[in-house]
Amino acid sequence: MFHVEHYDVIVIGAGHAGIEAANISEKYGLKTALITKNYSDLGKLSCNPSIGGVGKTHIASEVDILGGVICKIGDKSAIHYRVLNLSKGPAVWGVRAQIDRDLYSKNMQKYVRSSKIDLIEDEAINIIEKNNKIIGVECANTGKIKSKAVILTTGTFLNGKIYFGKETKEAGRIGNSSSKELAKFINKNFKTMRLKTGTPPRIYSKSINYDILEPQPSENNGIFLSYFTKQNTNKNINCYITKTNNKTHKIIRDNLDKSAMYSGIIKSQGVRYCPSIEDKITKFGDRNGHNIFLEPEGLNSELVYPNGISNSLDKKIQLKFLRSIKGLERCEVDQFGYAVEYDSVDPRELKNNFETKKIENFFLAGQINGTTGYEEAAGQGIYAAINAAIKIKKIKFNNKVFERDNSYIGVLVDDLTKLGVTEPYRMFTSRAENRLKLRTDNSYERFTDIINPNTFNKNDFTLISKNIKDEKKIINKLKLLKFTPNSLMKKNIKVKKDGKIRNGFEVLKFLDPTPIKFKEFFNINISQKLLTKIFFDSKYEVFYEREKKSYDQLNKNKNMKLTNIDFSQIPSLSKEILEKLNKHKPENLNDAGKISGITPSALFQIVKHKKVKGTKIA
Amino acid sequence: MFSSGTIYSNFTPLVKSPVIGYRISGSDVLDILKKLTKKNFSKDHSVIKVVELYNYNGDILDKCSVVYFKSPKSFTGEDVCEIFLHGSPLIASQLEQTLKNFNIPGLRLAKNGEFSFRSVVNSKNSLKQAKAINAIISNESFSSLEYNKKLLFGGDILSGLAPLREDIINLFSEITASIDFVDDEDFNFKQIKKKVSAFFLKCNNILLDNKSKINQKNICKVMLIGPVNVGKSTLFNKLIDKDRAIVTDIKGTTRDILSNEFIFDGKKFEIFDTAGQRSKQGKIEKYGYKKAQSISKDIDHFFVLADKNTKKSDIKQLFDDFSVGDNHTFILTKSDQYQYKSKNIKISQNNDRELTMKKIKVSQIHKKYVSYKNQKIDFNLEEIDFLERILEYEHDIVKENDILIIAQLMRNILDDFSFEFGYINNEDVYDRVFSNFCIGK
Repeated sequence: MFHVEHYDVIVIGAGHAGIEAANISEKYGLKTALITKNYSDLGKLSCNPSIGGVGKTHIASEVDILGGVICKIGDKSAIHYRVLNLSKGPAVWGVRAQIDRDLYSKNMQKYVRSSKIDLIEDEAINIIEKNNKIIGVECANTGKIKSKAVILTTGTFLNGKIYFGKETKEAGRIGNSSSKELAKFINKNFKTMRLKTGTPPRIYSKSINYDILEPQPSENNGIFLSYFTKQNTNKNINCYITKTNNKTHKIIRDNLDKSAMYSGIIKSQGVRYCPSIEDKITKFGDRNGHNIFLEPEGLNSELVYPNGISNSLDKKIQLKFLRSIKGLERCEVDQFGYAVEYDSVDPRELKNNFETKKIENFFLAGQINGTTGYEEAAGQGIYAAINAAIKIKKIKFNNKVFERDNSYIGVLVDDLTKLGVTEPYRMFTSRAENRLKLRTDNSYERFTDIINPNTFNKNDFTLISKNIKDEKKIINKLKLLKFTPNSLMKKNIKVKKDGKIRNGFEVLKFLDPTPIKFKEFFNINISQKLLTKIFFDSKYEVFYEREKKSYDQLNKNKNMKLTNIDFSQIPSLSKEILEKLNKHKPENLNDAGKISGITPSALFQIVKHKKVKGTKIA
Repeated sequence: MFSSGTIYSNFTPLVKSPVIGYRISGSDVLDILKKLTKKNFSKDHSVIKVVELYNYNGDILDKCSVVYFKSPKSFTGEDVCEIFLHGSPLIASQLEQTLKNFNIPGLRLAKNGEFSFRSVVNSKNSLKQAKAINAIISNESFSSLEYNKKLLFGGDILSGLAPLREDIINLFSEITASIDFVDDEDFNFKQIKKKVSAFFLKCNNILLDNKSKINQKNICKVMLIGPVNVGKSTLFNKLIDKDRAIVTDIKGTTRDILSNEFIFDGKKFEIFDTAGQRSKQGKIEKYGYKKAQSISKDIDHFFVLADKNTKKSDIKQLFDDFSVGDNHTFILTKSDQYQYKSKNIKISQNNDRELTMKKIKVSQIHKKYVSYKNQKIDFNLEEIDFLERILEYEHDIVKENDILIIAQLMRNILDDFSFEFGYINNEDVYDRVFSNFCIGK
């Protein structure tokens, strides 16, 4: 017997991936259900209480423009802001907001409940498929529910194991029991891999001596997570910084045998960019202490998240080393740090639309694909749901935005499905070849083609449409203004005396980007935000063109024959890529690009090789 | 692009000489040998056989040595045979005609470089090695010969630029870390820029150092001057060993200027013969004499030839015309015909080459004009090209204050290096980032 309701999409799991998936699926007009074991889990920040940062904000801002909720709810619940890389230009600005955990859950629950998403509080125990095509989901209490597509976003639930020193416990995350049946289904159908992560202890705020610590005040300066946020009215509070010291290092060093990771109990590879304090002291122990950021968990929370000391030491040792740290001499711990081992699905089991290769209409998104981070999860959730909508509703959608030269989501999808992962995948801006273009302040421009009125409320849509219009107007005006090198010299702007007449847009990069200067020079009024944006457009224009050329070249060469190329003569191809090329023997460049693991840079190298050397080998 | 089929070509010049070699490569080699010898050819690998070859008329073409190399143990990796004909261009053309008359589909004359190409395609040689073969053949100096031999026999790893890989990865990973992990460590932009400048300085130094080595003289230019009939051409032919040389690129006529290269005792010379000086010159000779004068300013050393009939005033005229200073050796010729009392060097056409060289002291002359210091070249032209290419970024990067643009340009350098000298991927960079910096919370 099936449940009465038939859905277009069922999303299992209500974390960051699940919520974004359900939300966008519903916005695209699909009948959507969201299954979560507990309502209270909805929108839980399971790890650190912050959203954003370099690379992470980049994905989050794309989710925001696609109609997602992480940035909006994040801003609503933020109690502290910082902008990283502010001096380096908007291509790598990373807004980071400290989030009040309770506020975030509350705001998220309120939002989801007010939407048309059907919330089902139950445990999904199995996936129902026939002839490798999705039929629905089986729940512990509700029974079988039919659905055209299923998006599984269950995070680290697969075979999770927690370690405190030598103590181990089976669980996805503290407080969750592993869903065995579902795990069996995944293990039976897909290749999985074992990953490891860790978390620091949580400390009672009132046990910390803030008086002797360096505060880090909020920079609430008008740069928010969401494009649509106008202000943050929450009370903003400080973070604090303290440091480990020689005494701390000695305690940890003397007790490495009591660490799950160092005593050999955990064998899986650690995350390079998220080292435990044991790692830091072993590798960089000679440093004069490692920073610890004391991040408040909320305005009314008793707890503080000490970022920088994730560990899997014995509980007693944890307390001992914590109390050796300035400001934490009398600290009390609520929840000790631990290491988690879990299985994730090898993301190469996915097509590039995040549907599994094996079972049609079955999508996976979030940490289950071997990633880490709320923002990475959110990006995948929204991506999987848009693709489910494309498939089920046959909606038209310009998929170009999800190519790696257009978006971080594209980079993530390409990296995951082609290369797979060896450690939890986190986004870095340096992963994008086209970094100068993939800016947090221009996502609306990169996504213009696919901005969908249905995914925004009326105000937001009006705002974004108006801004785009205003920008176009100013750019058009600028392009009509003409300047000779001489006229620029007179205004104290040094350009080459090449006799070239430059338009206003081309001149903009030589100016101080302040609205006053802009008005003085061009006699046009402009907001600082828009000015900053178009200033960098002007500055990076030459690089965009260069980049575009190389991508155009790739596109132009799609049919380039590869049958008579000996790939082993291209020194810049890695062994792995060579093996793949030799195994698949692609007919042309387009086919080569479809092979899993073949990166665009590898394709460039092939084109370059053929162009430069192919015809004149001595 | 090259296409398939069995290919053949001579591998020695088609001139009258003791031997003319032909190479045939491809799947039809055994079939061709059977047709040429009119019997089954032994499949023994790399054994020299003396056999009779027959032409298209069934007449005997030649009786000569033939070696068969069984695929894949051959230069090209295919079946190969090498035929050593008696050195008559006529026999060679008969062989080619015979091969054509076999009408074997795909059998054809090889294009330039096609044997090497096949060796690369069949992984017998890497592209770098094939290039090194080329470089070795066309080598201009012994030092670069040694370097290219190293590349050929040692593989790619020996590229002298390999150590730059470390610098590039280190620099790029620090730039990457300073952007992506800005709050994990204290990154100092000024320090990074200093390191960038230091990197370019290093590249510049390598380049300058090697360019000067490449441009360094390794050849000594000598010129023969003297009156008509004094024996300049005789000496010229002796020095270039004309009797042994199979090919010469002697250009022009005696009335113009002859030049050629020769190697003696491992030392390289370029030698110029001039039209003789005589009081009543024909027009052509006048032209030749003038031309010789114009070249003379690049000449390191002059051999001034004279005999019993030479007048002092003629010699004086020569010294003036060619601006000869101390850089000359005075040589009296025809010592078999005349008796000389002077202490000057005396030679005769009866002296053999070795003795002549000794008498006129060519080795010492070479030493005088060619520097022997730092002759060891560390890079070949391809690598020098690469250095010049990345130095084109120097100006843009050093003046730039936007670290993102610096990163973008450094990435281009990294990609270029990657393309030429071996793969560097994102993971190599991240490995360096995470081992050099304490990243992450």
